[in-house]
Amino acid sequence: MGSSITTWENVAAYFTFADNPAALVLFALGVTGIVAGLIGYIVKHENEAFKQHK
Amino acid sequence: MSDTVTLESLQAALQTQQATFEMHQAMNVEVFYWWCTAIMMMIHAGFLAYEMGASRSKNALAAGIKNILALAVIIPTFYLFGWWIYNAFPNGFVPVDAAAALPWSQSMGPDVQDMGTGIFWAAFALFGATTGSILSGAVIERIRVSAFLILTVFLGSAIWILAGAWGWHPDGWLLTDLGYHDVGASGVVHAVAGFFTLGVLINLGARKGKFINGVAQTISPHSLPMTLIGLMMIIFGFFGFLGGCIIFNGGDTGWTTIYNTPTNLSAFAFNTLMGFAGGIIGCYIATRDPFWTMSGGLVGIISVAAGLDLYSPSLAFIIAVVMGLAAVKFAKFLEKMGIDDAVGAVAVHGFTGMVAVALVGVFAGGTPNVNGAPEITFAGQATAAVIMALLGFIPGYGISFLLKKLNMLRVSEACEDIGIDEVEILAKPYPEANVPATAESEVPNKLAGPHDNSDDQLTPQGA
Repeated sequence: MGSSITTWENVAAYFTFADNPAALVLFALGVTGIVAGLIGYIVKHENEAFKQHK
Repeated sequence: MSDTVTLESLQAALQTQQATFEMHQAMNVEVFYWWCTAIMMMIHAGFLAYEMGASRSKNALAAGIKNILALAVIIPTFYLFGWWIYNAFPNGFVPVDAAAALPWSQSMGPDVQDMGTGIFWAAFALFGATTGSILSGAVIERIRVSAFLILTVFLGSAIWILAGAWGWHPDGWLLTDLGYHDVGASGVVHAVAGFFTLGVLINLGARKGKFINGVAQTISPHSLPMTLIGLMMIIFGFFGFLGGCIIFNGGDTGWTTIYNTPTNLSAFAFNTLMGFAGGIIGCYIATRDPFWTMSGGLVGIISVAAGLDLYSPSLAFIIAVVMGLAAVKFAKFLEKMGIDDAVGAVAVHGFTGMVAVALVGVFAGGTPNVNGAPEITFAGQATAAVIMALLGFIPGYGISFLLKKLNMLRVSEACEDIGIDEVEILAKPYPEANVPATAESEVPNKLAGPHDNSDDQLTPQGA
């Protein structure tokens, strides 16, 4: 469903959703969310760990 | 019977040959930077070993996980905005159009007609990861992993690459206005990262027990041999890093510096090795300490990296020896000022990188640039060196100050006493370290017969 090409003739950018900027923006937001979420997850884990070892 | 050879058929054959040659040349460019990127990974293996070794054993895994996660956050964030910053900010703080470098651009993914963007992005992402990791060693044993990751994203995916846009981009204002010359990234990577680290260290504070009644104490690495091996791995990785700093051009141009001036790998080879050797000697004479002696190899390379293409090898060697001596002096000065830099990163990278940029002005002043950029001058290099230091220091201090105010910068006091591994990482680097040799093993012996160990159940230690 995500292919951006129907033929290999004269192909340039051929990656999935290359022809769908909205989808690429969504994916970029997803990457942002995962990185931010990771850091948030670590902050939460640290706060709990420090509480347990007062 | 052979076909008749005509001028047209010869021309067609020549065009086919030309197209094949150009394709292979483009592939060679890709291959070169692919392997530079791979070799740069060794820098991170080195940082991993050297920072884990430099920590006390109670914090060894925390130091390691920090390094691994640094790569995991810098690579995607460099994809999200790092590459765009490089392309958008050559003029200063006002962006130019660089839509092709945004993560939703068609240029930022597999494209059979673009054999450059991905491989250059990868090399720059690894430069960013290296820059972000320079901070890592200095702050071991008391920084929160989360705080480190926030700081390293700013440093590795934003701050240094802004310096790169100013000082490495063909239209960068430091080049076009000052004739800036920094082919091996002494300024844009090392000075920026070192002074960013200094800003963070001021807010982070020293490790507990580092200063007793104002006197600096030695906190010994738990594995000095591992730190030495790690440092040597970083040196190995530097060959990928410095290879990635040279431009492999298509056509008949050959190698050039990032400023389009002619050079070659031979020039880099002479001075990288001579700098490496000189730095070791300088730091050995200054300390006779194994850790600093090996760090001297880094000092030596960084001290000549900015002018790697220009120096005579003997001069590079002498510069590196002197900078080895000076870097140790600077590290001692910082310690006297109450700064606890666990691995000497501010001296090795910040101080050395900054002075290295200025030294190009001293020894290579008058060297012409191309494409209308002014020649190299001492004033231009010294100004740029200060800019690099400030560009690192101000955000490093500012962001860490904010994290400190939010109580997010440093681990709790109890955590620092017990060790971050036990409190936060929940793992032990050497779990068998305190187990007497006569204790029964927790692990079943798979080679023992049923009469030796019939139930194969885990036995508590000392039971």
